[in-house]
Formats: sequence, structure tokens, C-alpha cells
Amino acid sequence: MAKAAKKADARPAQTIVVQTGNEVAATAAKHVDYHIMGYYPITPSTEIAETLDAMKAEGEHDIRMIPGDGEHGAAGICFGATSAGGRVFNATSANGLLFAFEQLPVQSGTRFPMVFNIVTRSVSGPLDIRGDHSDIMLAMNTGWIILMASDAQAVYDMNVMAPKIGEEMSIRLPVMVAFDGFFTSHQKRRIEVFEDPKTVQNFLGPFVPTVTSVDPRRPVTIGPYMNDPDLINNKKQQADAMVRSHAVIKKVFAEFEALSGRRYEILDLYRMEDAEAALFIVNSAAETAKEAVDALRKEGKKVGLIRPTVIRPFPVEEIREALSKVKGLVVADRQDNYGAYGGAMTIEIKAAIQGVKGNRTMVASRIYGIGGKEFFVEDGVTMLREAVEIAKTGEVKVPYDYLGANAGETAFVPAMAYAPIPEAAVSGFTRVETGADGKMVVRGVNYRALTAREKRIAPGHGACPGCGIFTNLDTFLKGIEGFVTVLFHTGCGMVVTTGFPYTAHKVTYVHNLFQNGAATMSGITEMFEERKKRGEIPKDEKITFIMVTGDGGHDIGIGPSLGAAARGNRFILIEYDNQGYQNTGSQLSFTVPLGHSTSTSNFGPFQHGKSTHHKDTAQIFNAAHIPYVFTASESIPRDLIRKAVKAQKYAEEGLVFGKLISYCPLAWRTEDQLAWPILQAAVDCCFFPLYEIERGITTINYDPEEKGKRVPVGEWLKTMGKTRHMLRTECKPVLDAFQAEVDRRWARLKEMHKNPLL
Amino acid sequence: MAKGKTAVRLPVKNELGFFEIRMESIGGLGANVAGKILTEAAILGMGLNGAGFASYGSEKKGTPVKAFIRLCETDQLVRVNSPIEEPHVLAIFHEALAKSVPVTSGAVPGKTTVILNTRKSPREARDFLKLEGGKIGVVDAMEIALATRSRVNMVMVGAVARASGFLDMKALEAAVEEAFGKKYAALMKGNLDALRRGHDEVRFEEIKADGKYAPTPFRREEPKLGYANAPIGGAIYSVGNMRFKDLSTSRTGVIPLFVVDKCTHCGECDLSCPDYCFVWEKGTDPKTKKEGMMLLGIDYQFCKGCMRCVEVCKFGALVAAKEADHDVEKITVRQSITTKAKA
Repeated sequence: MAKAAKKADARPAQTIVVQTGNEVAATAAKHVDYHIMGYYPITPSTEIAETLDAMKAEGEHDIRMIPGDGEHGAAGICFGATSAGGRVFNATSANGLLFAFEQLPVQSGTRFPMVFNIVTRSVSGPLDIRGDHSDIMLAMNTGWIILMASDAQAVYDMNVMAPKIGEEMSIRLPVMVAFDGFFTSHQKRRIEVFEDPKTVQNFLGPFVPTVTSVDPRRPVTIGPYMNDPDLINNKKQQADAMVRSHAVIKKVFAEFEALSGRRYEILDLYRMEDAEAALFIVNSAAETAKEAVDALRKEGKKVGLIRPTVIRPFPVEEIREALSKVKGLVVADRQDNYGAYGGAMTIEIKAAIQGVKGNRTMVASRIYGIGGKEFFVEDGVTMLREAVEIAKTGEVKVPYDYLGANAGETAFVPAMAYAPIPEAAVSGFTRVETGADGKMVVRGVNYRALTAREKRIAPGHGACPGCGIFTNLDTFLKGIEGFVTVLFHTGCGMVVTTGFPYTAHKVTYVHNLFQNGAATMSGITEMFEERKKRGEIPKDEKITFIMVTGDGGHDIGIGPSLGAAARGNRFILIEYDNQGYQNTGSQLSFTVPLGHSTSTSNFGPFQHGKSTHHKDTAQIFNAAHIPYVFTASESIPRDLIRKAVKAQKYAEEGLVFGKLISYCPLAWRTEDQLAWPILQAAVDCCFFPLYEIERGITTINYDPEEKGKRVPVGEWLKTMGKTRHMLRTECKPVLDAFQAEVDRRWARLKEMHKNPLL
Repeated sequence: MAKGKTAVRLPVKNELGFFEIRMESIGGLGANVAGKILTEAAILGMGLNGAGFASYGSEKKGTPVKAFIRLCETDQLVRVNSPIEEPHVLAIFHEALAKSVPVTSGAVPGKTTVILNTRKSPREARDFLKLEGGKIGVVDAMEIALATRSRVNMVMVGAVARASGFLDMKALEAAVEEAFGKKYAALMKGNLDALRRGHDEVRFEEIKADGKYAPTPFRREEPKLGYANAPIGGAIYSVGNMRFKDLSTSRTGVIPLFVVDKCTHCGECDLSCPDYCFVWEKGTDPKTKKEGMMLLGIDYQFCKGCMRCVEVCKFGALVAAKEADHDVEKITVRQSITTKAKA
């Protein structure tokens, strides 16, 4: 635990701020003055990049902020950036860490130091965004040094110390700083930070690269192919560096104490002097559990608590010393090493004390707080009492157990909300005919008659008022006949339609993480066909498979979607494009246009919103030569439903891709009721043209020029809080560049419309 | 140490040494910002120590959120991270929340001051909340917010400060300026007015725990589906069961009204409604005598009050109205549970 600073004139000045763990991690990064942050947003770590971006827009620092195309890409950006010889920063959580996982040993094995904040959260699935340690404990063996920050003050302090530890010439290893998602990341605390960033920069000194990829006068091969007999020697070097880092960490802790007055130890020992029973527990819950120690001490129980500030390298010697008089120990793990009869810390501790001759410490493992389940002082008391009992009896009655899991009410049967929708009830409304010119003609698009087609999504979902996802999905589904199975990528549409034990889906629904939705849908459709072939499913059974992603899911997950296109998998892929990662707090996606303000492309005196043009997914899929590509806006529902009918037909041939612009009043900063006028302005300014591409032939379905409705982009931009700044004088160059890009893409599309070969 | 501030002593504390505040709200009313302002004012402005945090996870408007502030004297460390169960001040930002969230859970007469954003009197508020008793404060935060062109959260912060008995208005004003000063300077006067009016206009009454309503101790709810009876893998077989949820708490005062006489049953409202509130049935149009789908009305259980249907309706068959002027229970048309027959 950090002790409050003493007033000492010799020390550099510090100031008190009230910030969350995430905000103060950003403050520390600003003070370190990293060259580059490569990142990808994921709850609950996202706020770090957001805060840094907001600071940048105000001119508070000049760190280059690079959004990855996913965490794997972000880690690649970081690896490349470190190889080019500068200080690099990243932050992630849970599945973000797992998606980056492959890159972690690359970073450590090639010996490029950097700092990675892990805002710990439960690993999916099922998906849970709250805090536990199932992510960080999986990263234990990736060759990174891991520091544990139990509160917001420690987040700042560890982030100041981390570069100095990893960059030490005898070490040269990357460092993780881990702190608890929500409990620490989102809690505002009183924190002391250095008044002058130079204090931190002088503490660290300039970064001195060992090798760099950008010095042509000193060429070097980085990352050669290396088999036996060499790799084992490379790993021995790395392992030795990790072992050496233990002493370096202690040295840096001491130097930091001299600078700040705050003292850190490898182990935070709380009332352990004469403790016979103890609790070993990491991060925020350890602070809460100290209150439990005090409560039992009041009863006269000799109990204490051990909290590590470093888990890689594991503090083996310190733990042996701390446990020398302890007879009963409960190790609390906020994750499980399934099948190992304990969580990660249990196993490490058992291994550590195994080397002690005549070891007297008996250990019990308790799994707690999974998925962010709250940890109360009473939980700490329960575990400490177990430790006392073990110390007293010398016996561990229950070596491994879950604390806080509940059996449920066995008599409880969830109420059924709907009978399954019969195929006939949703069939016979719309159909495709072949016209005289051989083209498809859609029949049955009658809004009133289509209200009789039962909705596949139930009311009661938790989307924001005015949300465009659900109008888009329902309008699209009004054009789909018969049975449907849907697969949703992670995103707003997914989060608000399922929250155990509730679901808004009346048809079969599958979720997979947004790196991989299309691949999962490929597996589903292929298995369906294979089982039909084998007679396990009737041969005439028809299901239309629809995958739903946001535009964000098509940054991180576009690879598998293009894979499905290349494989010719037969399903419909719908992208609701609400222009940002709205589920995590409206960060930029690559579909966000130039100049638009998001929480990671803020508008300010030093930054005028997003710095690059919008990604055109429809044209990317056009280049994949799939049978049908379309765009649609719910402001012209007839066009949208007509395209759904065609999509169902074309999906019998291969992949269909449809992009639907999707109203998001929260992130766009607009009034809830204005969906149609604002979407129509996006269409009428030709930012979002409505067209379809049938077997390579492009048709513009709505031409605002022909109708005399075309408006400059400013007419659309002035309707939204996130873009209104683009009409200011200082943003004129941005506005002009955006208009020019919209004009260029529209002109190109018109040529495609004219010429069937384009 | 905060510079130049003499440490404040707290008038009351719980067994762990904290003065605790809980705010019950919905996303979009600014409870999180209110928590930030209160925390900053206490720490930076008054030299206290403390923590401020919220319960929400995803970024949704209209869904219930809780904000927590835990304050202690400067020399004490903040170690507990768990949510606040028995607060000294419990501020309820949104009256309708009481329908679906146990907002008064952990309110203890003699310890907790409950503040409700309402037009009701303290006694009416007590009956509405079914409070066991204790000190109850009422403030018409919506009205003050409209009059000052500020927001509900500023009014509630003022009322919370008054209820606390020690939170300093000067410190709060400074925190408000810190929070909004740079970007929203134009709104500053309104925010400060709202803060002051919340402080001055909240009306308190001490009501005896006379047995009229039962105590509302804090209960840590456990789910009915547990490891013994939940389907493996997290599967949900009760499809569409979100229909059991009541979303009316998401509304903030306005509803669409259905004027059947003006309706042409064109179906555009159905296309514009994100919450699938419109109830249709096959029938005969009394005007045209033709068979077809007929719009019966709105199921207000799901209506979040976005007013998209009102914007879209060309015929004046859907109009905006103040929810308080209508008995929503009476005018609601329930959706049938059974699957619709083919038209």
C-alpha cells in the first residue's frame, strides 16, 4: 500500500487530483511522454485511450495515438514501434489481451521493452464485461514482467516505474501493469501526481534503444528464424533476465520512494508480524479484505494478509519468508485454473513453499468474485475464519472451493414468453419474380400488410431510446420469409438483446466475439448442409442465416467476413453502421468520416476530429465478387425491405453483404426522434448513397441529384452534435476535404451505375 | 495534502469511518457527473478523502444506474471497494425508477435522508416510496432544471449537499466550474443557479417509522437460476422473455398518444419504432370497410418515449403528450403473448 507522502522540501512538488484508475494511467502516460500508443478499445480499459485523446485535442501532450484494427493489430503496431526505437504504451482487457496473446511472447522474446496496462476483466464466454483476473493470469507465462496496482494511486506510481524497470539494460523486457476493471479503473480517488511531467521524464532518463529498425547505417536482422539448438539458449537469456528483474524492481521501488515519498514492497504485508492464519489475495479485493483482518484482530485472532505487487517474477523468497510462521493460508483467486484444483496464485504459492524444508503452511484455495461479483468485507472475514480453522486444526477440510456461487432455486422454472414461430406464420408475404428483362422483381412490399409478419425480436430489449439498430433489423426482417437463425457479433445489438437469463430473440440466436462472427456462421451453415446430406436433418428444411455486425465488428472482424465471401458461404451479412464503437462509449471506427468527433478523435484546438476518411465496406465486398452487395437506409423503408427480399434469394448462391446506416442519438449527439430526417440528409448529400450490386452490376437505387434533392455535406453535418464543429471557420479545410472525398466517391459510383463492366 | 485547506471533520460516520451517499438514476440524467462533482468538491475543495464510482457497465441511455460517494477524513485510507448499501443520503433522480428498481433498499430511519425528485410533498413521497420512515426531502428537480436551463443532476447535487449538513457550496461551485468551465462556459450560470436552487428549495420532513410500511433492509439478490439448475453453457430456452421487462422507467416525461380517428393504418409508425410497441390486429377498417391490418394502439410497457413515431406520422395520428396528464395503464394496449396468425 502506498503511504501518504511526507512533506519534504527536497522532493519534487506533487499535486492532488481526483481521477479514476484509467484517468490516472493516462496522466502517467502523459508524464512519461511516450512516443506512441497503439491501442484498440475494449471495456473497461478504453477510457485510458479516450482520456489521452481528449488531452491531446487540448494540446496537453503529443503522443501519437494509433488505433489498431483489433488488439492483435494494436500489439503489432506496438511491436513495430518498439523495434523502431521509442517508448510505447498500450492498454487492454480480457479478450483484447487474449486476441493480442500471440504477440506477447514476440514482444518479450525479441526483448523490446514497452508498458501494457491490463485493466483486468473476465474472459468470455459467455461474455461478461466486469472485473476478474481470468485475463491477467493467462498472461503469466508470456515473458512479461507483471506489476499489480491495487488502487488508483498505485496505478500512477507503477506506470511511472514500469518503463524504468523494463528498460534497464540488464533486463530489456516488456512490463504489464494490472489493475482491477471497474473497481479500480472506474473509481475516482484522491491521488498525488507530480506537478511537473519533467520530474517523471528525468526519473526515467532518455530512452536508449539496443537496436532499431530505422537506422540504415546500422542494419540489423530482427526476429530471425531460429530452431534448435539455438532457441533454448535464447530462452535461457530471457529467463535469466526475468530472474534478474527481481532485484531491479526492488531498486526502482527504492528510487521511487526517494522521489515521491511513497513506499512499495514486493509483498504488501498487512498485520503479518505474528499472524498464524493469513489470506493471500491480489489487487482491489486485498484492500477491502484488510478491513476483515482488522475485524478479526479485534476478536484477538492472529490473522494477516499478503498482497503481491509483483507476480512476474513471482516473489518466491519473500513469500517463503512471509509464511514461515503461518499455519493456515487461504489463497483467494479471482479466476480458476480449471482442473488444477486452484487458481493461478494457489498453484504458484504451493510451488513456492514446496521448496521449504519442514513447511508448516497448509493451503486452501478459494475461487471468488468471478465475472465481477462484488467482494465484501464479510467475504474476507469468511476466508480468514477458514484460515484460522486450518491453523487451529492443522487440517484442510476443503482444499478447493468456490465462494459466492449459488445453487439457485431448484423448483424454479423460467416462464415461457412465446411459442416457437411456425414457419407458415412468417411466410407468404414477399416474393421475387423474374421480370421481362430477366431482372429480379420484388413483390409484396406493403408496410401495412407486413405488420402481420411476426417480429423475430421481442420488445423489452434495453437499447437507448431512438436506437436505429432495431428499426433497421425489424425493417430488414420484414422482407425475410420463413425460418431464420441469427448470429450477432459483440456490440450494442448483442448486449441489449441478451442479458442472462433474458433474451429478446424469438428465433435461434448465437453470439461470438467480433473477431470471428462470419467464420462461426460459416461453420453453422456448413454443418447444416452436411447434416442434411447425412439425413440427420430433413433435406427440404430451409433456414435463412443472417449474421449481424456493427461497423466496429467490421474493423476487427472483417478478415473472417472476407473469408466467408471467398468460401462462398451461403448467408446474409448485415452491417449496421452507426459510425463508431458505440457500445464501449463511441470511440472511432474506421467507418467514421474525416473530421467527425468521437471519444478517440476529439475536437479541440489541437485536433479537428478524425484524421482519415471513412472505410467503404460495401466496395470492399464488391471487390470480393459475391452475388449481392447493397446499402440501405431505414429512412426509405421500401428500398430496404426490397433489398432484404433480394438478399434472401441471392444468399442461395453465396454470401450477401448489406450495409445499413444506423441512427445513434447518444453518440451522434442528436435528438431521439430525428432518425429519418438525419439519415435522409446523409443519403441526400451523397455521403451514404443507396445502391445495389447484383452479380457485379451496380445500380443506384436513389439518385438525389436526379430528384433535385442533393445537398452539400454541411446540411447533414449541421444536424449532429458530433459534427457541428466542422462548420466552424477553423475547420474549413477539413470540411472541404470531406466534401471532395464524398464527391469523388459519388462520381465513381455513378460511372459504375452507367457501365455494367465497372 | 490539499493546499491551504483545514481538514473537515464529518458529522456522522458508519462503522468503517465513512459518510456515504447513493444516487439512483437512469443513464442520461447525469448521476455519474453528479458523483464526480461531489467527490471532487469533497476531496479537492474540502480536504477530505474519499471515492466516487458508479454501477453501470455498458453505455446505455435510459437504463438504471447507481452512483456512490464514500467520504472519510483526510488521515483515513479508503480501502473498501464494494457498493454502498446503507447510505446516509439516498438521492433518487427519477421517480418512475421506484416501479422497477428497489431504490429504497438499505434506507434506515434515523440514519438515511432520502431525497426524491418529485412534485409531491414529503408525506406523499413517503407513501409513494413506501418508506418505513425517517427524514425525507423533496425537490422538483425537473422544473428547476428547465427554468435554469440546466440539468436534473445539478439540482440533486445541491439537495444532497444540504442533506449532508457539511458539503460546502463554495467547493461544489468550484467543482461544477472545473467540470463544465472549459467546454460549456455558456451553461455555467444555469448550472450554478440549479445547484443553488436545489440546495435552497429541497423541503425536508421527519416522518416517524410508525409501522405503516415495512423496513427495507438491503438485500443482496441472488439469481434463481444457479449452478444446480441453470442450463449448461449459458443457454436461454425461454425465447423472447425480455418481453417481461418494463421499460417505462426509460421515459422522461413525454409519451406518444394514439389518435385512432386520424390513423390510416399505413404502417410507417411500426417501421419507425425501435421498441416494437405498436399492436396490430387483422380486422375491418370502419372507414373503407376493407379487410386489413388495423393499428389498435401502443403497449407502453416497452415505450421509451423516443417520439420517433410522432416525427414520422404524416396524419397526426400520433402526437406528443405529457405522461403526467394521462393514465398510461388505461390507454395501453397489451401485446398478445400467443404467436400471431398468418394475415
